[in-house]
Amino acid sequence: MYWRVILLNVLSGFINCSADINREKAERLMAETPLIDGHNDLPWQMRQLFNNELEKMDLNTLEKTHTNIPKIKAGHLSAQFWAAYVPCESQYKDAVRQTVEQIDVVHRLCRLYPDDLIFATSTDDILTAFQQNKTASLIGVEGGHSIDSSLGTLRMFYNLGVRYLTLTHSCNTPWADNWLVDTGKDTAINNGLSDFGKELIKEMNRIGMLIDLAHVSEKVMNLVLDLSNAPVIFSHSSAYEVCNSKRNVPDDVLKRVAQKKGIVMVNFYNDYVTCQKTANLSNVADHFDHIKKVAGHEIIGFGGDYDGVTRVPKGLEDVSKYPDLVAELLRRGWTDIEVKAALGNNLLRVFKEVEKVRDSMSSVKPYEVPIPYADVVNPCRTMYGYPPQDNAGSMVSLGLHLPVLTLLLHGTIVWLF
Amino acid sequence: MLFLNPLQSLWTAWQSQGCTVTSLLVIVLLPWSSSTSVEQKTLDLMRREPLIDGHNDLALQLRINYNNRLSTIDLHNLSKTHTDIERLKAGHVGAQMWSAYVLCSSQDKDAVRLTLEQIDVIKRMCSNYEELELVTSSTAVRETKKIGCLIAIEGGHSIDSSLPALRMFYDLGVRSLALTHTCNTPWAETSSSIHRVYQRDISLTEFGKEVVKEMNRLGMMIDLSHSSVSTARAVLLISRAPVIFSHSSASAVCNNPRNVPDDLLQLLKKNGGIVMVNLYNRFVACGKKANIATVADHFDHIKKIAGSESIGIGGDYDGARG
Repeated sequence: MYWRVILLNVLSGFINCSADINREKAERLMAETPLIDGHNDLPWQMRQLFNNELEKMDLNTLEKTHTNIPKIKAGHLSAQFWAAYVPCESQYKDAVRQTVEQIDVVHRLCRLYPDDLIFATSTDDILTAFQQNKTASLIGVEGGHSIDSSLGTLRMFYNLGVRYLTLTHSCNTPWADNWLVDTGKDTAINNGLSDFGKELIKEMNRIGMLIDLAHVSEKVMNLVLDLSNAPVIFSHSSAYEVCNSKRNVPDDVLKRVAQKKGIVMVNFYNDYVTCQKTANLSNVADHFDHIKKVAGHEIIGFGGDYDGVTRVPKGLEDVSKYPDLVAELLRRGWTDIEVKAALGNNLLRVFKEVEKVRDSMSSVKPYEVPIPYADVVNPCRTMYGYPPQDNAGSMVSLGLHLPVLTLLLHGTIVWLF
Repeated sequence: MLFLNPLQSLWTAWQSQGCTVTSLLVIVLLPWSSSTSVEQKTLDLMRREPLIDGHNDLALQLRINYNNRLSTIDLHNLSKTHTDIERLKAGHVGAQMWSAYVLCSSQDKDAVRLTLEQIDVIKRMCSNYEELELVTSSTAVRETKKIGCLIAIEGGHSIDSSLPALRMFYDLGVRSLALTHTCNTPWAETSSSIHRVYQRDISLTEFGKEVVKEMNRLGMMIDLSHSSVSTARAVLLISRAPVIFSHSSASAVCNNPRNVPDDLLQLLKKNGGIVMVNLYNRFVACGKKANIATVADHFDHIKKIAGSESIGIGGDYDGARG
């Protein structure tokens, strides 16, 4: 009788020890290699909760969000791409101005918390921040609608430190289709990418802007993988075969990402993890396992989508929980190299290569041809600067209507007389 | 939509900015020496102390004529503009404040995007040509061996009433903002009556005062060209830093709303700011014709009221004005 109790105690002790060992190892690995997360919407929460009046909150004690400084420290979050996101409703209105304001929020957060956050725009910056035990803070603009079809705006965002552009959010741009097209809830207007969209990809390669394919349609994923000279990222997408949401990445695309040496940074949103309203940490680890199995450990990263979603898994309630996920990967037999690859080495490789491609294209001239005016006609857009012949779209349609109108008029006159 | 500058036809005889300014200085120095040595003295002076011009709208012309496609032109020699590199060099221009201007009709529409595109074209222009160099500080202006390029936004409508946009423009290298162009913003008043928008009694609102304070904090020059006298006065009361009029002349010589009245000149003297004299006929001679001597009268008048420390040159070349 007693021996059973003793055996149970020993076994549970062993399991606990094991769990502790993995957790400790996770912390050790995270002290050696920076965890770089691909997508966090804290700036959006700043807008929603405080109208960007950052003096009204203290990031050291903020409770309403997944992210605050103590949680960042506990989670060993060494680098974060903060999302400069504005809603699709602002497209064709004030998207550019709002995006500029969200970019400004990241800059100001870094100035307000200089002991903990440091603005970063390069692989070197990430490593320097890691050495200083601060969180490297990068910016990703989430949605092509933020650039208002303007290459000048893209370049100026890069000058402001933006280092990735998600080509679409959940709305089409005049030059790229979004993932809702694949669900039937939206209609493709470009069959993927327009000619201007293709030039945009080349311009992003030229300036060294990471191309983010989270939120785009499958057609766009494949077109960009065809066109881009640099590796691409999915800043916050998971595996389609594990949860068949069109926000996730199908196996054939995972393989193509591996060929191009890109990265897929796993999203923690329950709806994209289990395709249901609930999920747990183990479900997220399943995505890591699947991507590793199909495409190798060199294309995996973390893209939690914290503070951008309302439903996160049990066990991953906030940004302090990353070490628990890492411990689970170790428990599942991931090697140190594989874990470190997922933590940050993969992203660093991708980013470094994007920088190399940029440097190799330094003698290439900026792309200057604006999007055709006909593709962007809307009440909030002046046609400032377009020569009259670029208005050919509207002239052609008027030309087609003229014969019809003439016939109608002729018919009317005949009828009257 | 866009007006062609009537100045163009009148200044065809004066193809070079250099001729104009050189001649101006010759007239100024004439009473004291023979004409040959005055010209030599002028050139020596300008070689030692290169000219900083407060306002040039070449970027606007690049938009109108080439839709910002710099690859289609050679900036060394342009036929459609007052400005190109050869003439800048001939004029001994040491630094130029390039205007990133977008139309008032884009206010509340796509002004921010258009402004970003104008900043982009100025930056590309200044990095594409080895004779030009983008500068963003007084030290850099002094030390550059090339023609220094400063970026100036012409009109508060470009910031869409957003202080973050103002800050981000500063981060992009913009170092001057004219509070208005020919249209009121929701927070500041223009001297023009062309656009009847945001009309109210207060020339500078509480938000407008915050804009001024934020510009002081950032180190962005406040440009009062195009602002109403009332707005200018309100700014001069609160600005902790000197202000500029990047391209305005003296009301006492030509009584045009774009020019600066004597009482403002006196406030400006206390403020430590400058008036950079505009060369546009309508602001110089209140008419269609003007000559170098008329321009020199503005210099003389401003010197008399506010002192020589308060004067500069803001030619407004390649500008389009109504």
